[in-house]
Amino acid sequence: MDKLKIIAFYSVLLAFTALYLGPFLFSISISFNADKDVFEWPIEFFPSNATVDNYIAVWEELPFSTWLFNSVFITLIQTVTNIFFSALAGFAFARLSFKGKNFIFNLLLSSLMIPGIILLVPKFIVLNEFGLINSYAGIILPGLVGITNIFLMKQFFETIPKDLDEAALIDGCSYFKMFWKIFLPISKPALAAVAIYTFQGSWNEFLWPVIVTVSEDMYTLPLGMASLRSELLTDWPLLMAGTILISLPTLAIFIYFQKYFVQGVASSGLKG
Amino acid sequence: MASIQLKNIRKVYPGAENATIAHANLDIKDKEFIVLVGPSGCGKSTLLRMIAGLEEITAGEMMIDATKVNDLSPKDRDIAFVFQNYALYPHMTVFENMAFGLKLRGTPKEKIEVAINEAAKTLNIEHLLDRRPKDMSGGQRQRVAIGRAIVRNPKVFLFDEPLSNLDASLRVQMRTEIRKLHRELATTMVYVTHDQIEAMTMGDRIVVLKDGEVMQFDTPINLFNNPQNKFVAGFIGSPSMNFLNGHIHMDGDKIQFRSEDMHFSLPSAFKDKLLPYVDKKIVYGFRPEYIYDKAHEADKQLSEDVKIKITTVEPIGSETYLYFSYLGCPDNTFCMRTSSQHAYQIGDLLTVGVDIDRLRFFDFETEERVI
Amino acid sequence: MKLRFSSVKQEQQVWAMIFLFAPLLLLGIFVFFPIVFAFVVSFYDWNLLIPDKPFVGLANYSELFKDEVFIISIKNTIIYTIGVVPTQTFAALFLAFIMNQKIKGRTFFRIAFYIPAITSSVVTSIIFVWIYSKPGLLNYLLAGIGIDAQIDWLTNPNTVLPSIMMLNIWTTSGFFMVSFLAGLQSIPQSLYEAAKIDGANSWQQFWNITVPMVRPITFFVMVMSLIGCFQVFDQIFIMSSGGPDNASTTMSFFVYQNSFKYFKFGFGAASAVVLACIIFASTYLQKKYFPSEAY
Repeated sequence: MDKLKIIAFYSVLLAFTALYLGPFLFSISISFNADKDVFEWPIEFFPSNATVDNYIAVWEELPFSTWLFNSVFITLIQTVTNIFFSALAGFAFARLSFKGKNFIFNLLLSSLMIPGIILLVPKFIVLNEFGLINSYAGIILPGLVGITNIFLMKQFFETIPKDLDEAALIDGCSYFKMFWKIFLPISKPALAAVAIYTFQGSWNEFLWPVIVTVSEDMYTLPLGMASLRSELLTDWPLLMAGTILISLPTLAIFIYFQKYFVQGVASSGLKG
Repeated sequence: MASIQLKNIRKVYPGAENATIAHANLDIKDKEFIVLVGPSGCGKSTLLRMIAGLEEITAGEMMIDATKVNDLSPKDRDIAFVFQNYALYPHMTVFENMAFGLKLRGTPKEKIEVAINEAAKTLNIEHLLDRRPKDMSGGQRQRVAIGRAIVRNPKVFLFDEPLSNLDASLRVQMRTEIRKLHRELATTMVYVTHDQIEAMTMGDRIVVLKDGEVMQFDTPINLFNNPQNKFVAGFIGSPSMNFLNGHIHMDGDKIQFRSEDMHFSLPSAFKDKLLPYVDKKIVYGFRPEYIYDKAHEADKQLSEDVKIKITTVEPIGSETYLYFSYLGCPDNTFCMRTSSQHAYQIGDLLTVGVDIDRLRFFDFETEERVI
Repeated sequence: MKLRFSSVKQEQQVWAMIFLFAPLLLLGIFVFFPIVFAFVVSFYDWNLLIPDKPFVGLANYSELFKDEVFIISIKNTIIYTIGVVPTQTFAALFLAFIMNQKIKGRTFFRIAFYIPAITSSVVTSIIFVWIYSKPGLLNYLLAGIGIDAQIDWLTNPNTVLPSIMMLNIWTTSGFFMVSFLAGLQSIPQSLYEAAKIDGANSWQQFWNITVPMVRPITFFVMVMSLIGCFQVFDQIFIMSSGGPDNASTTMSFFVYQNSFKYFKFGFGAASAVVLACIIFASTYLQKKYFPSEAY
């Protein structure tokens, strides 16, 4: 009876796994298919005429390298600034007393509840005033710092015992040195969480680049691939090869840092 | 090498109703070992942290080495602080922890190394220099924390209950070591504890605090023998002083203490001081160690006979604590300390007296000492 | 840097200003100001292509509610949200419950369920365009179990929205699973042991212990899921562009089209404000009728 239960349990588990991984496996399979007709059923899951031509074609036939550069450039800048700014602001809120602290903090808190959709038009108008539409600055600037990240850092800093700041003050630290030499080095898990979230969000971001870019040379990878979706409907292997390539960085980072992902989600979940 | 003066120091936390420190006046001399002691919430840590500059001073003047330091940040006061939870930087090795403060002050590398090696030798932590805090025991961490203070060679050492996270035997050992350190370094030290035995064994002078007020600032012996008020009398000494509420009665020419439990006549020498309390409430205080069984102690100058009945016997080893009540009044129990040679039993009736020199009386209202 | 301060308080004040300057400046320009400015723009006939921007009061709003497409988009958005939120929440909880059992290869399964959540919406959308197409995987599988559907799921007005909803459930349930998993792990094992002694089977344990104990997380997940669903955009843009015949036009897509295709900023801002109000109202209702208190 127990054995039966275990078998049933694992069957359900595997069925779900197939459901969640299946689509990706098919897209990988298609991306290696030399045959452009991918609707010949039953499909060959391991194509007999497997080839890497599609992956080569992605680089040669599409402006893939330009988009890759844009994506990497934008993501790196936003990740670094988010780490730095959210740590700075998180430290100020966690450890410094200053006039208007509660007001500013509540302002941030209530801004979190504002749906992002109403910010689109005003942000566009602001950037347009500065002539930044269809520029790197236009894509990057609004995402240099995120309120959620500030909260994450503030919460982490608050778990650090106050004795440590006081020891640092007595040792002769200024508040910046305390931040730089004590708080940052011992906050690696939280900084990693911020980095991973920002990287993932920034790499996958679609809506804002769609709005603020005009010309193909400013596209990011997701935007570029989406723009090809209608043009390339006949060349599924090429399209799938592209999608696999743009999924790899987030996948690699996720698998490598999964414990941070889970911790971060968990803490934000419990605070909600 | 510094003296510390607190002049009318006051601390009120924003939004708090009562002052944490009402007004503290202390004059701490150079090279003294001062202990701040009192029950939890008495403000002893706040006072220490104000000396360190970790706590803002609401009013009054804080002087270190005759310089006003009220607005000086901790790093500019040339003090070192040892925390209850050690507060070692978890990402640094022991060496780096100790070097940090010196580095920030721009001390040359060679000098830092010499200072750390010397301090490590003093504290027996030479073998730990490469370890990180998480790889050490509580006792080792505390040594490192003290080491971090020593290497800076500060004018003043401040300790905030540094031993309370250690187990009992280690605590006794560290107590002696810190005393020894004080002798060697010859620096002013201020030490906070809630443990009166720690205070008595360590301090040159002790500040007893209660509810933000300095109750008495004196040497350990004086605190024990000449407590200025009922609080200090009860706080210092273990087991605590016994207290009994009653009043003074004039029986013709004789002056008597009377309470529901018992009454006895007092030497006429007390008359002057006790006259104002005739028929008024007063608190009689007597220490467990100064009550004597008249059957065994004939040669001491003891107070008038009083009969008691033993209710509990607590053998400690070298001595025995007897808990007793006065005959005919079983509600209140008191404590006396006796030699363990005598085999007392529960229910035994004794005739006792208190060493005349050790009788204490306190004003019922103000709790100030009368005798 | 050497700074001199007259007091500790002032020192903290100065450092706080230095620390917060850049973050607050950025947030000011790209969050605080836009929140206010969104309302302002919605009262103007503001078009990027026309220099004249007359104040029109509530005209944009009244025009909105006369707009047939806007009404359809509200209807679609509500159907979408009502369809996705409960299913997704339940699926996430169920996955978390499975993952919380003593299973071999837990890390592998956790990664498997989480991958759709960390993958770019563009990637998942493109894969599902292939799955949903007429000769695609879905129809093939359906034929395998004897259903000859033979429809193009994304160009059929009856199936386009449900198809995109399914995709959404698939992508985000793994994400919320992790939230639930943390909650499940904080439930004391003794509760399950007590239930076992009382004779509860696994299913009864799930309903009578797990579900009530993770209630605060359920609330959080539902709010997050709801806010996400109301603003669904990427999948609509990539898979159907709101079509066919507006059958999959959601409010956020409507906002996008009017604001950035026709550059009717005033009108677009007004529709975004309406959407924001609907989101506020629904989270408020959820708070009221589905309290998050833990036991």
